[in-house]
Amino acid sequence: MDRTSGNASGAVALTGVNAMPAPTWSWLKMNDTAVEIPAGLTPAPAAVSVEPAPGSADVVSANADAFDDALVAAGKRFASRARASAPGDARDHVALAAGEVDPMDVPALSRYQQGAVRVEEELSVEEAFETGMGAEAYGYLRSIGERPCVLEVPSGASAQVRVRVSGTPGTASVASVDVIARRDSSLELTVALNGTGSEPGLIGAAMRVFAAAGSRVSITTVQTADDAFISLDDAGIFVDEGAHVEVSHTVLGAGRSYTGLAADLRGDAARIDVDTSYLGAREQVRDFNYQIRHLGRRTTSSMDANGVLAGASKKVLRGTIDLMHGCTGSEGAERETVLLADERVDNKTVPVILCDEDDVAGNHGATIGHVRPEQLFYLGCRGLSPEAAEALFISAKLEDAALNAPDDEVRANVIRLGETVIPGFGEEIA
Amino acid sequence: MTVQATPLLSLAGVTASVDEKAILHGIDLEVAAGETHVLMGPNGAGKSTMGHVIMGDPVYTLDAGAITFDGEDISELSCDKRSRAGLFLSFQAPVEISGVPLSSFLRASIAGRPGLEMKGREFRRRVKELAAELDMDVSYLNRELGVGFSGGEKKKVEMLQLLLLQPKLAILDETDSGLDVDALSVVSRGMDAYRRTTDGSLLIITHNTRILEHLHVDRVHVMVGGRIVREGDAELIPWIDEHGFESFEREAAGVPMEA
Repeated sequence: MDRTSGNASGAVALTGVNAMPAPTWSWLKMNDTAVEIPAGLTPAPAAVSVEPAPGSADVVSANADAFDDALVAAGKRFASRARASAPGDARDHVALAAGEVDPMDVPALSRYQQGAVRVEEELSVEEAFETGMGAEAYGYLRSIGERPCVLEVPSGASAQVRVRVSGTPGTASVASVDVIARRDSSLELTVALNGTGSEPGLIGAAMRVFAAAGSRVSITTVQTADDAFISLDDAGIFVDEGAHVEVSHTVLGAGRSYTGLAADLRGDAARIDVDTSYLGAREQVRDFNYQIRHLGRRTTSSMDANGVLAGASKKVLRGTIDLMHGCTGSEGAERETVLLADERVDNKTVPVILCDEDDVAGNHGATIGHVRPEQLFYLGCRGLSPEAAEALFISAKLEDAALNAPDDEVRANVIRLGETVIPGFGEEIA
Repeated sequence: MTVQATPLLSLAGVTASVDEKAILHGIDLEVAAGETHVLMGPNGAGKSTMGHVIMGDPVYTLDAGAITFDGEDISELSCDKRSRAGLFLSFQAPVEISGVPLSSFLRASIAGRPGLEMKGREFRRRVKELAAELDMDVSYLNRELGVGFSGGEKKKVEMLQLLLLQPKLAILDETDSGLDVDALSVVSRGMDAYRRTTDGSLLIITHNTRILEHLHVDRVHVMVGGRIVREGDAELIPWIDEHGFESFEREAAGVPMEA
């Protein structure tokens, strides 16, 4: 939080948000982002509701320390691992500080490499834990929410919980959620981020997830705010041995939407699958940062993003698969398909695969394309002007979201957004 | 042929090019309301180009002449406006558009068309009816437009659109190409249904006479080298079936015809 600053108007400026772990050229302006929060927003804790499904009420816990305790306990099992005297590792740097080696004999490390060595050799599990948007944004979000809602699913149990954030103009509404899914438990968590109104407001979520050995955690987030809103959705996930976490992010609304997720696959055979579906239109901004660290052996990750960008919208998607020292047999894959429906769209995609281990696999692929002239002609031959064609791509994305909405309230929110683009949208898909 | 005072579609001296290369040379052609015309010719004759030029494909430049449809000069209209005026082009190779379900596309194509607009349930019922008529699996309606469709399924989707949009004139560009017997039968059924239910006009581009066997054809046009080199009634079809286009090509090249 120390870098968070306010300006003369009272607005809050967050810096270093959604930062890539291994930066690229600064002039590309995609390493991280700055987020300006409008001045004068009032925290609105009442706008956040936590709704356990019948039979799941017991998982709402009063133990505010449950998450931190779980990480500390995990840290005792995952002691830092010393490398076999790899050049430039912590041992070299200790010797260097003691003047025992010549500086010319120690390779210089990049900022990322220094961080990786620290994670691998020096930091405990709890020290290494992070969220996708970074410490500054996470701290801001946690400062907005009241005390975190703690969801603690006992060993072997199953639960379903919905968290709703219903933003209103002039307010900042943030759900702070800690999830602890104990051994072999199962949790389905839906997070509905919504905001209605034409004056500025903020909605968000700051989530920490501990998926213990053998657990299954499914997190479905759907964001359907009006354009006047800014959305900040931040998560950090620890995945223990054999645990499987599935994340679905559907980003449809908000003038500016920022999504960050960092996952620590520490346990052997840990797995995470992230599916992202997004829509950008008008002047909307979409900013994503996914960062998955493979530390355990035979760990698996996949990131699959599918988006439509129209109007003069802007998008950055950073996806980093970090195959760290010791993650033998692990595999990570990231794919993105994005359709650019307008020449004015600003689309940036940064797939990064970092590798410091043998016997691992990292794959990435991207399909990025404008609507081709022959597609526009085909649509034209069916009576669709270029403007109608653009609206079709948008409505198709909204229709898909409505059909797959986790509940009627979210579906109604999707339809509300749809009506702003296509009059009669709700009636059409009824 | 029933020549009416004002034909539905009229091409007068149409010359068109792509990248400054002339493809069509002074095409004159008229199609009256309710008639079925066939445009035949060897590969590369310019048949598909003519279909695209009539529809307003921006790839082609109309260098001379005029296209009139339903009493209006449409030469300068964009393709979407020509479609809404009542023209339809069935594609030889329909495009794929990922991310857009077929049902969303169909709904957008009828939006704002007087007499065709339907509300949600009515639309779904109508589309399912048409799909059944064309032996088309309704699960295709929820799939992305054309993505992973077989050649036959793509042509069925074209026929479905023809029946849904009920244009005044449909240009079918080699809708029969590459189809097996069953798919050909479905396409024929689609054309029959279109003629039966709308009394619309057809301009069928083909070099395969099989698709024409069950159709009443009013007029046949033969195109070679971007020019209409012969016109006649339906009797021309069996003649072409027997002799091919060779004599027309020789004639176009300045060699006297034998037949």
